[in-house]
Amino acid sequence: MSNEALVLAILVLPIAGFALTAVFGRRLGDRSWAISVGAILLTWAAGMVVVFGQLTGGFGPDGLHFTLYTWIPAGTFQLDANFAVDNLTAALLIVVTTIGMLVHVYSIGYMAHDPGKWRFFAYLNFFMFSMLLLVLAGNFLLLFVAWELVGLSSYLLIGFWYRRRSAALAAKKAFLVNRVGDVGFSIGIWAIWTTVGSLNFSDVFTKLPHMLASGQIQSWQITGIALLLFCGAVGKSAQFPLHVWLPDAMEGPTPVSALIHAATMVNAGVYMVARANPIFSHAPAAMVIVAAVGIFTALLAATIALTQTDIKRVLAYSTLSQLGYMFASLGVGAYAAAIFHLMTHGFFKGLLFLDSGSVIHGVHDEQDMNRMGGLWRKMPITHATMLIASIAISGIPPLAGFFSKDEILGASFRNGFYVVWLIGAVVAALTAFYMFRLMGKTFYGPSHVSPDVHPHESPPTMWVPLVLLAIPAALLGLAIGWPPDSGLVHQWLDPVFAQADQTLGVPHEAFQVFGIDGALLLVSVALATVGLVASVRLFGLRLPGRDVEPKPAVVEAASARLRPLYVASFHKWWFDDLYHGLFYVIGGVVARAAWWFDGHVVDGVVNGVGTLTVFSGREVRRIQTGRVQNYALGIAIGLLVMAASLLVITAR
Amino acid sequence: MSHSLDAYLALSSLLFCTGMFGFLARRNAIAMLMSIELMLNAVNLAIVAFGAFTPRLTVHASVIALMVIAVAAAEATVGLAIVIAIFRNRRTPLVDEYDTMRE
Repeated sequence: MSNEALVLAILVLPIAGFALTAVFGRRLGDRSWAISVGAILLTWAAGMVVVFGQLTGGFGPDGLHFTLYTWIPAGTFQLDANFAVDNLTAALLIVVTTIGMLVHVYSIGYMAHDPGKWRFFAYLNFFMFSMLLLVLAGNFLLLFVAWELVGLSSYLLIGFWYRRRSAALAAKKAFLVNRVGDVGFSIGIWAIWTTVGSLNFSDVFTKLPHMLASGQIQSWQITGIALLLFCGAVGKSAQFPLHVWLPDAMEGPTPVSALIHAATMVNAGVYMVARANPIFSHAPAAMVIVAAVGIFTALLAATIALTQTDIKRVLAYSTLSQLGYMFASLGVGAYAAAIFHLMTHGFFKGLLFLDSGSVIHGVHDEQDMNRMGGLWRKMPITHATMLIASIAISGIPPLAGFFSKDEILGASFRNGFYVVWLIGAVVAALTAFYMFRLMGKTFYGPSHVSPDVHPHESPPTMWVPLVLLAIPAALLGLAIGWPPDSGLVHQWLDPVFAQADQTLGVPHEAFQVFGIDGALLLVSVALATVGLVASVRLFGLRLPGRDVEPKPAVVEAASARLRPLYVASFHKWWFDDLYHGLFYVIGGVVARAAWWFDGHVVDGVVNGVGTLTVFSGREVRRIQTGRVQNYALGIAIGLLVMAASLLVITAR
Repeated sequence: MSHSLDAYLALSSLLFCTGMFGFLARRNAIAMLMSIELMLNAVNLAIVAFGAFTPRLTVHASVIALMVIAVAAAEATVGLAIVIAIFRNRRTPLVDEYDTMRE
């Protein structure tokens, strides 16, 4: 099989699975998962072959670029449906196909009792197609199409339980908030076309430096384009100020939260900015904004995550926070570190969500952590895997999160963004704290599970994916991130970002264990440990041979002393209320005014014209009597008038 | 044969006005068709009169007059056929009752 066919298979299999499940799924009943899970297993296999081929250099130094057909032949605007596979794509393919495959398997167990699960699996396949198209797309417009398709599948899956009002509202909210960002994105694409005259990634990125050097493009134009593209990323990756949709998106089934709203789709923004790195690296001002927005979101979301009680919401804010890290990393010019964190985060956050799903499943659809506790003995596998993921996200060596997070922090310090580093280190401590708060409240504290619920471990289709995900969550950092700053991931990604590094003038120094890098590493690990220990002290921990009792009284006292902060965090800094006021109340007034204007003025004019026509028609109709002699009289009079006027004119 | 063109033209206009009056005033469809014939023949008379008094036009006038006669015959045939068809439907020859086209 040729390489192109293999890449196409990655796209064709999920969409075929979607079509078949959509048509025949209902008839398959309880086995409706068969087609779609099979399709994704094959997709994963094809994806792994492509990844292996690409990363070992089997597709040549530039990767695989091919055109399927001419998509839009419209005069001077010519656009192909072309695909590009390079090392960046390969990195994303690993995350998307692997987590997608495991989530599909997990969903067999999780959705077992849902009568509409054929719909669920069809949507999941559709999402996989969209996401893989997004990753493989070779030009901006195709990327945008895939971008919208993942938005659509996200909408469908958030609102999967559409009879629940909150789910329907959350789906709508996600869709609308994303539109705000997409407006900027689409204008950005238009701006690229008008300035550079092409939308193909390779054309744009090779032309851009020359056009900038020859003065055909001003630097402010590039900054503008970069900011507009970033708008789209802000929407899709739920960064401040468009972060409000992601926590609400947790209304969807938990596998969806894991796959779409933690591990893959929300990374699309990071991927897009990384893909457009030649544009961003020529726009230093835009980079600073990216870094600022990213690190601010990281801090904001981490503070909110401290007090939430819904287990999935804690994880949602944690996702926001980690995505903030990635954008901060992109902003300081550490593209490879951002993608590295994207990969590790995809695995451990996907695992955390699947674990939370397992917990929710085990306690019979309860999501409030105040009604959990003491589950560690009843759900041992879930507990063990979630503990691994929590340590990983907290950045404790040698688990995955440590390597990627430390690279981001190190890069921001070395590239001179000391504020980003400082906030990032603080957020690392907060991360460890809220993750172990979640662990404590769920697994260790006194049981608040209602007496008629008997928590149980989940079926094998659910815990096997958990175990499989725990392996990369634990070891991926060590496998591809060691040694720091020159690990496997850097060997893969540094060629992709070499041009950008050169433009930015990023110093490429070796990692100094006994120098500044080692010191930074110690500081960040120390901070994370402080957060972790504090949290364990307050919320408890139970490991074989080591029990720490939770201290609810101390927690009470502390939150009472920090009342204003606690309330602010609990109410998510009132962003939802602010937007409600701005866009729902005030926007509602404006909308009603516009509605009135439309109903009375615009429609009034249109209806007025119509009424006038009807009225004049009714009046003028009387001339038409239908009697032939009246018409003949008209003809005769006309003839006379013409003859008379001829006489008058010629007589003169 | 008179030697004055005016006399012919006066007769022609008299005939034409008679025809026009008949067409406008009579309600019977047959009478209206007859009035049309009258008008056509008035025009024909004018044409041959012009032809007779202007040697350059004699041949042309005769041809045109013949053509008008032929057209008039065809028109009378078609007109009568229509009138008969309507008469079969409506049972009346009076044109002011033929007003279905009004609505």
